[in-house]
Amino acid sequence: MTMAYRQHLTSSEEPRPILAGALALLVHIVFIAILIFGFNWKDEPPASMIVDIWQDLPRPAPQPVEKKAAPPVQPEQQPKPAPEVKPEPRPKSSEPKPEQPRPAPAQASPPPPKKPEIAIKDKTEPPKAVQKAPTPDLEAQKKKAQEQEAKEKAEAERLQREKMEQEQREREARKKLEIEAQKQREQEEQRKREIEAQKQHEQEEQRKRELEAQQKREQEEKARREAQQAAARAQVASEISKYKAMILAKIKSRIVMPPDLPGNPVTEFNVTLLPGGDILDVRLRKSSGYPEFDSAVERAILMSRPLPLPPDPALFNEFRNLQVTVHYLE
Amino acid sequence: MNPTVTQDLSLFHLISSASVFVQLVMLMLLLASLLSWWYIFRKMFVLREAVKQSDDFEDSFWRGADLNVLYQRAVGSRYAPSSMERIFVAGFGEFSKHKPGANIDMMMDSIRRAMQATYQREMDRLESHLSFLATVGSVSPYIGLLGTVWGIMNSFRSLSNITQATIAHVAPGIAEALIATAMGLFAAIPAVIAYNRYVSDIEKLATRFESFMEELSNVLQRRAPTNLE
Repeated sequence: MTMAYRQHLTSSEEPRPILAGALALLVHIVFIAILIFGFNWKDEPPASMIVDIWQDLPRPAPQPVEKKAAPPVQPEQQPKPAPEVKPEPRPKSSEPKPEQPRPAPAQASPPPPKKPEIAIKDKTEPPKAVQKAPTPDLEAQKKKAQEQEAKEKAEAERLQREKMEQEQREREARKKLEIEAQKQREQEEQRKREIEAQKQHEQEEQRKRELEAQQKREQEEKARREAQQAAARAQVASEISKYKAMILAKIKSRIVMPPDLPGNPVTEFNVTLLPGGDILDVRLRKSSGYPEFDSAVERAILMSRPLPLPPDPALFNEFRNLQVTVHYLE
Repeated sequence: MNPTVTQDLSLFHLISSASVFVQLVMLMLLLASLLSWWYIFRKMFVLREAVKQSDDFEDSFWRGADLNVLYQRAVGSRYAPSSMERIFVAGFGEFSKHKPGANIDMMMDSIRRAMQATYQREMDRLESHLSFLATVGSVSPYIGLLGTVWGIMNSFRSLSNITQATIAHVAPGIAEALIATAMGLFAAIPAVIAYNRYVSDIEKLATRFESFMEELSNVLQRRAPTNLE
């Protein structure tokens, strides 16, 4: 085996390294793309919707005003040709026709007194005089022309005045309309404000009424509770008196009365009770003056144990220290 | 790293606003990932081809083709021979170098050694770059973590001047720092998977080569007595 063979046999020919590199790059590009799109999807805030809330539609009032004003502007220009056409038939002679353009410049200048006008005519219209020379009555014609010019001037003046007046009128009308619109708007606003005020007022009243109702309810509740308490108290009182009567009756039933005592002696005892009705202590509080009667009552008290007590332990306090008063005669 | 009211957390912004150290870590990880993917694809092609060529060669070998013809074809081929072919060439070349009447044991030993040497060389070739994949797979998560820890340290340090610290002040810094970890994991996971896969593939190929070597030495040993006659 020669070296060449060895070389040939040991050389490692790797298949497609460039393709492998390209694939590696592709993997990374795909991964990064996924990352970027993933990030961007979460990054975008949700498209917020902007909603304008209009109380009512925007008022179209100002537009009509303009529209109404606009058309008169055009007529303004149109009437101009009309008066210009009119003067044409007025001159009787056919010659003044070339002069007609002239009054236009003259119109522009303020109407001068007649005399200077003639002078100007003389100066400015020598060529015309030459043209008109063939006609014999130059003077008359001149006069005529002057008259006509004056007439035309007056006409133009009138027109201008009319135009200005019309414009004035239009302006006034527009102003009036605007003022009216303004007024209307103000009125509407006023109305709106009033409505709002009324609403507010109503709301306030409603609130007041609710508050009152609540107060009323609370008061009623309080009264009811008080009544209940009173009733409970009354019940308790009646219970207490009932049991006191029962106790007294039980004691009385046990008394063996000593015979033949004079008058109606009264003896009073303080009795201390235990819960359950047992008697802790019996003490003479006020003697009747007859020891046999006192001792008879004491014995009866001791004998009548247990004393009847209400089943409610809360009421026991009323019976802890009991005062027993016994009359001899009853 | 100025925490502003509107935080742009897009990927490019996060990367570009990271500190230089974190950016370096990211660059390193990107390169490691690119290289490891390159090796993954290269190894994939190499191993696929090795398996296919071994299949072909074994097929023609066991179909009873003449060993001399196979040898001539392998040596004279314009293309680089496959691993199995090389083992065969080494073994058969060693076999044909022996004079008739030589000691069979010695001859078989030398044949085995020659084949073994070629086998080692081939295994070396197949296993090349696998260590790189293993390194990337085990180290790049740590590199990513280092970048992340560094970035988080920085973002917390920037908190020291703020009296009322909220999570919004640290969040962008942490996010950009975490990209380093993400990149480390992105580099490591495919590398580890590919490494395990290729190691098992190469082991399978190695067993095939070894069994082929044994079988070839048997064949050559059987042919040796006829050589003596």
